[in-house]
Amino acid sequence: MSDYQTSLPGKPRLTRRDFMRIAAMAGTGAVYAATARPARAESIRRPHLPGPNSDYVVPTMCEMCVWRCGVRAKVRDGRIYKLEGNPDHLHSQGNLCARGQSGFMMTYDPDRLPFPLKRVGERGSGRFVRISWEQALDEIAERMLAIKEQYGPEAMIFSSTHNLSQPLFENLLNAYGSPNYGTQRSLCFNAMVSAHLTTFGIEEPERKYEGIKYIILTGRNLMEAISTNETKALMQAIMDGAHVVYLDPRYTKTASKASEWLPIRPGTDLAFHLALLNVIVNEGLYNADFVSQHTVGFEELEETIQPYTPEWAASITEIPADTIRRIARDFSAAKPESFAHPGWRTSNFRNSFHTERAITILNALMGVCHQPGVCRLAAPEPDVGLGAPPQPPYPRVRAPRLDGVPWKYPVVPLKLGVFQELRDNILTGEPYQAHGWFISRQNPAMSIPERQKTVEAFNRLDLIVVIDIFVNDTGWYADYILPEATYLERYDPLHVAGNRVFIRQPVIEPLGEAKSALWIYKQLGERLGLGEYFQYEDEEDYIRQQLEPLGVDLETIRQVGYIEVERPDLEPSYVWNTPSGKVELASETLRNAGFPAVPVWEEPPAPPPGQFYLLTGKVGQHTQFATQNNLYLHEVYPKNRLWIHPDAAAERGISNGDEVIVRSEVGEVRIEVWVTEGIRPDCVYMAPGFGHISKGLTTAYGEGASSSDLHLTHTDPISGGQALTETFVTVEPAPRESVIPAPEVSHG
Amino acid sequence: MADNYTPRYAFVIDPRRCIDCRACLVACRAEWETPLGQTRIWVRDSGVLGEFPNLERQFIPFQCQHCENPWCVEACPTGATFQREDGLVLIDEEACIGCGFCVEACPYHVRFINSETGKADKCSGCFTRVDRGELPACVATCIGGARMFGDINDPESEVSKAIRGRRVHRLITDQVDTGPMVFYLEEPLNPATVMPTPVSQPSAEAFWQKAAIPFVKAAIALAFAGQMGAFIMQLIKGEREFDEM
Repeated sequence: MSDYQTSLPGKPRLTRRDFMRIAAMAGTGAVYAATARPARAESIRRPHLPGPNSDYVVPTMCEMCVWRCGVRAKVRDGRIYKLEGNPDHLHSQGNLCARGQSGFMMTYDPDRLPFPLKRVGERGSGRFVRISWEQALDEIAERMLAIKEQYGPEAMIFSSTHNLSQPLFENLLNAYGSPNYGTQRSLCFNAMVSAHLTTFGIEEPERKYEGIKYIILTGRNLMEAISTNETKALMQAIMDGAHVVYLDPRYTKTASKASEWLPIRPGTDLAFHLALLNVIVNEGLYNADFVSQHTVGFEELEETIQPYTPEWAASITEIPADTIRRIARDFSAAKPESFAHPGWRTSNFRNSFHTERAITILNALMGVCHQPGVCRLAAPEPDVGLGAPPQPPYPRVRAPRLDGVPWKYPVVPLKLGVFQELRDNILTGEPYQAHGWFISRQNPAMSIPERQKTVEAFNRLDLIVVIDIFVNDTGWYADYILPEATYLERYDPLHVAGNRVFIRQPVIEPLGEAKSALWIYKQLGERLGLGEYFQYEDEEDYIRQQLEPLGVDLETIRQVGYIEVERPDLEPSYVWNTPSGKVELASETLRNAGFPAVPVWEEPPAPPPGQFYLLTGKVGQHTQFATQNNLYLHEVYPKNRLWIHPDAAAERGISNGDEVIVRSEVGEVRIEVWVTEGIRPDCVYMAPGFGHISKGLTTAYGEGASSSDLHLTHTDPISGGQALTETFVTVEPAPRESVIPAPEVSHG
Repeated sequence: MADNYTPRYAFVIDPRRCIDCRACLVACRAEWETPLGQTRIWVRDSGVLGEFPNLERQFIPFQCQHCENPWCVEACPTGATFQREDGLVLIDEEACIGCGFCVEACPYHVRFINSETGKADKCSGCFTRVDRGELPACVATCIGGARMFGDINDPESEVSKAIRGRRVHRLITDQVDTGPMVFYLEEPLNPATVMPTPVSQPSAEAFWQKAAIPFVKAAIALAFAGQMGAFIMQLIKGEREFDEM
């Protein structure tokens, strides 16, 4: 029996070349031990695909990020060779980004996990053996049942990230009876979503760019954090002459396209927006009709924001008072063809909820958020009447949630949760001790701040199960890893976008023994005695049951990739789903929970002398922690580098391309620097997703560094959002070691 | 249009619309299975210019310019590199001997010897897609709409409309004007990243006469000698060795 890998990722850090050498010595061909017989015969029906050597095109949906663009997958000799954006899909409109174009390299990644693995070495040793699906599912179910019996279902944590099979994952969680569900939300958009729920009673408004004249982007780096159609729409608006104000401590690609870039001091966006409100209210620049008819709390707002003059904000934000005043006036003059973008990942500071609230209020005062064609308050995706398999009600859950909602975080929406708190309470054992963690398509070892703590939490658990297409960094610490089919090899539940229902369907048969999530959850559910919650024969049967009320058969939707459904035109909504039934400029819910009812200034912490704010933020070529191993994306963005201002670099004797040690209170990393004028001198920046610790990711391993090694855990008490930018670091030249010459691509 | 109508293909590039997302690079690699480490197209970055906070940055999609007077065609000793009537400069892989003269001759340095095929390689304007009535892969996927392609002779084409009434820039210098058929809607902020450079033998003819002909003659002679040698070996050793290939 040979092991999956031979050693821990240790310090000093191995260079990529070292690793390649070690891997070669270990014999890369024999990293998986072939001890078990092949899995049992398929109980699942295969999709009716053309023959193995055929040429064909399959319409399906992308999954390289959560935006779900329409895709046409082209197959030659049975192999996917090209993906094209589907012009029929609202999100892609015929285009795909770099990630979407590279999608089939996930399927053909040399590091794909071909069969289930079971850990044999110590946790984190990376030593696994191959087992059959039957053995894997039987053993996992047995151990999950044992945990349930001994400690109660709440001792089992489930976590997953936004995806189309999530309803079935949640079925597993809810049927098992655990209240503990970890999602990416608190690491991402808790502040934005909870602010909109508070003000308007909706999660996020739809945005329309046609005819728009003035946009304020508060850190929304749409040219790099790409949502294909929205990125396109912003570009078109810019070309059509829209004025774009962009706030960011960093000169991003969006900054380079904006009309004006304001390198605001981190954490002070709230002061900027409070000052805009001050000018707009005091100069009467708001939509008075809308405010009087549809809002509550205007007087309280007016009173509260009096101290927040542009002059006051100037010293805090480092943006001149005149600029703030001008923006307030121009923004208002452009209404209703103007909006303030609320951003997306808003997990920056503990005051980020107030920042987001100020932005929602700014939009409300303009009245733009009820203007059809501008920034329309969309109802949730309308119910188009999809069917679903029958199932009994879920068992009642009595245990409190480990993530502190609502007992510690009273106003955090139940759906959003506080993932980082959940991790912390695995360590505290309060209010009870967790024993198992079931993780699907998620990588908490990379995503939650303070990776050291996350790894420690893994070590407290009796059972960790990971479903993924690779041995990712979390899988590296798992007891079982189950190989999932990639999005080009499987069905997922249907997806509604606009007036169309789209299907994700297999383009080729799954490679190796990989299976769809729908299959895995059902198999496991049945073994856990929860078969009643998974009443479908196979993936196709599930989708047939979804389609049944619409009178459409599976073949029809498979041919075209979507079906049109009737959907009433979205009328501007004047029924606000808030406690008062109005747009809440002041929120009684917040007041009752002991928080300010209207946004107030909260001074964020600042780095001590000699230290920097550590910034994070996406690049256009990668999605979170999942794509760095993709050979085509690695080619166009192989590793992250630390952005640092020339003055800060010079003070420390650092030159472009040098390696540095970046240190925070909780950890340190070694990383190459990019010296650039495009960042404030008091900030440094690292793109997320690099610094993988799993040696199962041979392309990504050893490339760049992970900010999760540096991030401290700070939680906004209102929204539960993680405050990622409240981590301060020192930077110093690294001791010399042999380094690999950088590939000739731009890292900016 | 008349039956004998021939389009003249051109690219129009609007750098203001380029967000350096690199979707074009990945699409091109997928379409042509370009080996890792090599690429047929680029996005050239001006770099962050200026001093904080007064900065500028420009991204310029860049590739073979499909020149009207392509030096690479002149430099090619076998006729493998040729220009179609529609203007696309292509490489006949069968005829290419991988000598690399065209790589040296291109003032834009967009040619390379493909590490897998050993043949000259570069942007082909996705002629296979174009001949099917599709856009080149890079153009089709471009999110910002920075890359455009079409028939410059057709006044109704997207490229003709895009340059109508606009000041266009071609990447030419006093030393190098090969008649590039890529039109830019913005001047390069950092010309060094895109402008052509005189190649070591600016006169393709001189290049051909001084260096290429003797070398190619020698190469052909060597190849012939190799073939003869192999044939003689075959006669001596019989068929067996070839069976195992």
